[in-house]
Amino acid sequence: MNKHLIREWHFMLRQSYVLVLLLCGFLISSFSVLTGLSEIDSQRETIERLKTADQLDRAEAQDKHNAPGALAYYSFHLTYSAPSNLAFAALGERDIYPWKHRVRMLALEGQIYESDAQNPELAQAGKIDFAFVISALSPLLLILLFHDLFASERASGRHELLVTTTESSFALWGARVVVRLFAIFISLILPFYVGALINNVAMTDVLILSLWCLLYFIFWIALSLLIGRRESSAPRIASILIGFWALFTFVIPILGDLAINQSIHSPQGGEILLTQREAVNDAWDLPVQTTLNAFTATHPEYIGYKHENEGFDWGWYYAFQQVGDQVAEPLSIRYREAALKKHQRASFVTLLSPTLLIQKKMTRLAETDALAAMAYERRIREFHKTLRMTYYPWLFSADKFNKSNLDLLPQFDSTTSGTTYSRKNE
Amino acid sequence: MGSSKQDKTLIESKSLHVQIKDTSVLKGLSFRVAKGEIYALLGGNGAGKSTTLKTFLGFNQASSGAAFIDGLDVSSSLASVRKKTAYLPENATLYPHLTAKENVEYFLSLAGLNKSASEIENTFDLVALQKDAWERQLQTYSKGMRQKTAIALAILREAPIFLLDEPTSGLDPVAIDEFNQLVTELASSGATILMVTHDVYGACQVANRIGLLRKGELVGEFEANQNERIDTEVVHAAFAQRQP
Ligand SMILES: Nc1ncnc2c1ncn2[C@@H]1O[C@H](COP(=O)(O)OP(=O)(O)OP(=O)(O)O)[C@@H](O)[C@H]1O
Ligand SMILES: [Mg+2]
Repeated sequence: MNKHLIREWHFMLRQSYVLVLLLCGFLISSFSVLTGLSEIDSQRETIERLKTADQLDRAEAQDKHNAPGALAYYSFHLTYSAPSNLAFAALGERDIYPWKHRVRMLALEGQIYESDAQNPELAQAGKIDFAFVISALSPLLLILLFHDLFASERASGRHELLVTTTESSFALWGARVVVRLFAIFISLILPFYVGALINNVAMTDVLILSLWCLLYFIFWIALSLLIGRRESSAPRIASILIGFWALFTFVIPILGDLAINQSIHSPQGGEILLTQREAVNDAWDLPVQTTLNAFTATHPEYIGYKHENEGFDWGWYYAFQQVGDQVAEPLSIRYREAALKKHQRASFVTLLSPTLLIQKKMTRLAETDALAAMAYERRIREFHKTLRMTYYPWLFSADKFNKSNLDLLPQFDSTTSGTTYSRKNE
Repeated sequence: MGSSKQDKTLIESKSLHVQIKDTSVLKGLSFRVAKGEIYALLGGNGAGKSTTLKTFLGFNQASSGAAFIDGLDVSSSLASVRKKTAYLPENATLYPHLTAKENVEYFLSLAGLNKSASEIENTFDLVALQKDAWERQLQTYSKGMRQKTAIALAILREAPIFLLDEPTSGLDPVAIDEFNQLVTELASSGATILMVTHDVYGACQVANRIGLLRKGELVGEFEANQNERIDTEVVHAAFAQRQP
């Protein structure tokens, strides 16, 4: 067995078109890994830069203002979703969903949906990342390498001599398949391993991703050989395989996306934004007590709050910010439910296309999928809630506010996932 | 048939019927080749010669009747049948980007055989492949040189049974004579040879027996007398007479 593999390895090295294909694979994969690394680097740099700016801005605002209401109004808080170590390999939907938001203690819904994108669950990501190379481009290389495994020998009249000479099927076809699979696997995955090393990706993640790639390659090779066995003309075999490739890479994703968007109705992000903003704007013209009643309905602990002066008052102002969120909440919940449902349907569609399936596996592993984006949004909401819980006693109760209390403000932490931000112990 | 060493039948076709895509190509073909014999199946273009050989190698299924190699039914013992036979295909093509040596080494390794460089070189000498070509890629070869390489490979297989499809096609007269001599030597050292050809003269030169194949049927057999060749005139007359 070993000697057959060695023989076929040497034989493959003499076939210049195979070497050209392997080189192409290596170059494309290297390019995609470089793209991913530089994209992730720039995201990390942006986050670091924003973090510094965020601290400075807030320190400045806290210096300038004294009333808790004004402090809350002028203090921005950076939230972000830091890319995982593996994100370079599968940028996923990080360029569709936002991964950074500066939020204030104003009404939140508008702040979240300011930059609403569609939910392009199944759409191809814009950047050529490693996941794209593996899922969409590697099948083409595999097809080129394997479609004429039999047909080329038939066409050149060697098939019968080969078949009658070989001591076993494995010695010939098996060894050829194994050797080519090994070569294309190495040429495509090697750049990823280098990237993984640079980015300290966990060994288990590297192994799992390698295994998925291997299975995906085996799927395409099996398909190529299956059709290659039945058909004798290499161009015909290639056409059929390209047809499958187009089906899995374009037709199923596009039709799936259409079907999902047809079947699940979701409010637009802009609608939520508008509803919340209108509620806030309208509040200026409503009687103060109407707003306060709506506020204390959800925050009964501040029922004793008295609107002191006739005109502007920070408590009233933040109460109607809160009420703005309350008015938009049903829409926002529907939006999020629809997003989750779309994600679940999309997961079902991925079962129809190995190309989508491996994309999904890779973006899940890299935490760059829609689920990761949803988790980040939950973290923003948690953080914002904690922010309110910290400020509200200063605004609505008799608690005396002291500027040193600002230490109690929550710090956004990108590493906690969907957790609660507790106020620091008093 | 003569001496006792020729008694054992190694190749046998028993009322073989083969259909390819709805057309009957072989229609009840029967013949036997004994150990050490050279049997030439002679026939015109499209008579079914190549089909017969391919059926012995399991590439065609018999719709009725059977093909046997060394007593084994081809349809049920394909692997052992193929191990016992060295096949020289019609227009044998090897790998054009490899040298003759590399080609032969490649195919021998595929067969699980280990041959020394000198054994390979001796065989190249035997088939009169010119020495300066041994290390050259086959794409620089003439048709006859490629044929010689394929013949060398068949010999190096050291199989007891040879199935040769027009082995002398592309060879010059000198090379044909040398080939005929080679085949005779192989047979006298115990090999059994079934060759198909449309070359009446060549067949009469080497064959112990000749079967005349016409539209998938055996229409005549000619046998050499002890130490004599089959009469070319007679065979030619039979061959020509039966052409439409
Ligand atoms: N793959 C095939 N498909 C259809 N018909 C075939 C096929 N192979 C052989 N035939 C038919 O079978 C008949 C015999 O073909 P075969 O190749 O055995 O002839 P042959 O005696 O070797 O002829 P030649 O001297 O030209 O080599 C021919 O009529 C041919 O058309
Ligand atoms: Mg023929």
